[in-house]
Amino acid sequence: MAPWMASGLIYSSGLALTAGSITLLYIVTRTFNFAVASMATFGFYIAYTGISLYGGLPYQYYPLVFIFGSFLGIVCYFGLNRHLLRRQAAEITLMMSTLGYDLLLLSFIQMYADFLTHTYGLFPRRVTLNVHDFELFGERAAAIILPIVTILLLTLLHFFLTRTRFGVAMRATIENPVLSGASGINSDLVYMVSWVIAGGMASVGGAFMAMAMTGTPTMGMFTIPLMFAGAILGGLTSLYGGILGGFMIGMTEYAGIFYLSQQLGPWVLGYRMGIPLMLMAATLLLFPRGLAGIPLAKLINSLVGKKRGESA
Amino acid sequence: MLEVNNLNSGYGKLQILYDLSIEAPGKGITVIVGPNGAGKTTLLSTVMGVAKYMSGDILFEDMPIQGKLTHELAKKGISYVPQMGNVFAELSVMDNLSMAGYLMPKEESKIKADQMTEIFPVLKKFIHRDAGTLSGGERRMLAIAMGLMKNPKLMLLDELSTDLAPIIAEKVMMEIARLRDELGITILMVEQMAKRALEIGDTAYLMVSGEIRYSGKASDLLHEPELCSMYLGIKTDSDQIADLTKPSIEGSD
Repeated sequence: MAPWMASGLIYSSGLALTAGSITLLYIVTRTFNFAVASMATFGFYIAYTGISLYGGLPYQYYPLVFIFGSFLGIVCYFGLNRHLLRRQAAEITLMMSTLGYDLLLLSFIQMYADFLTHTYGLFPRRVTLNVHDFELFGERAAAIILPIVTILLLTLLHFFLTRTRFGVAMRATIENPVLSGASGINSDLVYMVSWVIAGGMASVGGAFMAMAMTGTPTMGMFTIPLMFAGAILGGLTSLYGGILGGFMIGMTEYAGIFYLSQQLGPWVLGYRMGIPLMLMAATLLLFPRGLAGIPLAKLINSLVGKKRGESA
Repeated sequence: MLEVNNLNSGYGKLQILYDLSIEAPGKGITVIVGPNGAGKTTLLSTVMGVAKYMSGDILFEDMPIQGKLTHELAKKGISYVPQMGNVFAELSVMDNLSMAGYLMPKEESKIKADQMTEIFPVLKKFIHRDAGTLSGGERRMLAIAMGLMKNPKLMLLDELSTDLAPIIAEKVMMEIARLRDELGITILMVEQMAKRALEIGDTAYLMVSGEIRYSGKASDLLHEPELCSMYLGIKTDSDQIADLTKPSIEGSD
């Protein structure tokens, strides 16, 4: 596997989870969660702290990362989002409240980085977690494990939403909060669970991304445009679309920068973010509803029809 | 069963209902009729904790329920079938019924869903289909079945006959009467199909611009020609006789 592809797969897996996290919260609570940036950064720092203090592989700390991310989600829900939702706040208000929360978390991250330096003598401001990785089948393990974990998480989420009663209740609340309330479904609980899942996904996504990029206190802030690009590319109405959108954005960035720098020179590296954003813009021009709006069944049918026509 | 006293409510800063008082006696059908924009839907929405409650009392079984959350009211045995968005279009018919029985244990919910498909056989045919693919009449049947899933003490029905073919609307009305007669459920219904609703109803209120203009026996409202023709578009027997005896303009000198 080419190095850019390995890094791309790792990075895209993380971006897919963060974009999925943004989409999930948007479809359930109408909230564009800017705090996903700091939640992702905290995810990286939890994994980093675990490895630095207790050793082992980054993977073993992912459950803890998820739990911590969920905790951050719960704090945001009970501290801000719940009160605003009850007052039927506008989307812009909901969004700005998460920006405030993000800035608060960012300062906590800075404090935490200082704490790690002063107390444990660590240097947490520029960290490469991939030095703790191992080789699997001659490749970087993360390039194999992280996409698989992402697919597993997506599958689990799919089963949760379609096969469990609470999962179906979540879908019902997403579609029609009034009717779900009239059915006795506690929308408060649904919103809280979505913050738990989304917070966990964002933090795990951040920990994933730090296996392909340098972990810094501001890594979330620098990657948040791509997280949102993934969610928007996915159409913002479909969780699966959001995850696929995030993955596509990540892979485009790595593949695009690799090929363009070979063709045009290394100066292109400075514009790496522009490539996936152009992909997003082009997709939205063709399909204004994003990936969720692509009539896949129709496309496949027409392609199959064409092939049949040709063979006849 | 349900008592609303001096209720003021609306949406945001907009007040729709002004000092409104109604009563829905137990095991009967209370019909609320009136022209568009009278505030009928707002009344049901306020009772159900959806519209903004401002002041007044809402008593259910003599207990105040104003300000309670919608899912808490569902737990108390109040079932609400809204006019629009009364089924989960993206869920299957089975999942819709299952969600309606969300407060019950899973097994009980399954048994109840089976009962519903027996009461409304049309639902059995489409049990695994998305509710969004059902016709208007089938959706209304599903909406009523969902309302009944909860073993309600009180059902709030909001304009169930809207957009339905007359024959389907008639069937829906007959089902509502059956709910009272056979299951003893108290029903508070808002209805555009005023004449038929008043025929099956026990008590009636005529609402105009957020206020009550008539309260009394449902059948008696049909004998108020002025109110009927002015607000409900119903021609009473006396109106029709008057029409027949009126000389035509073209023929008169």
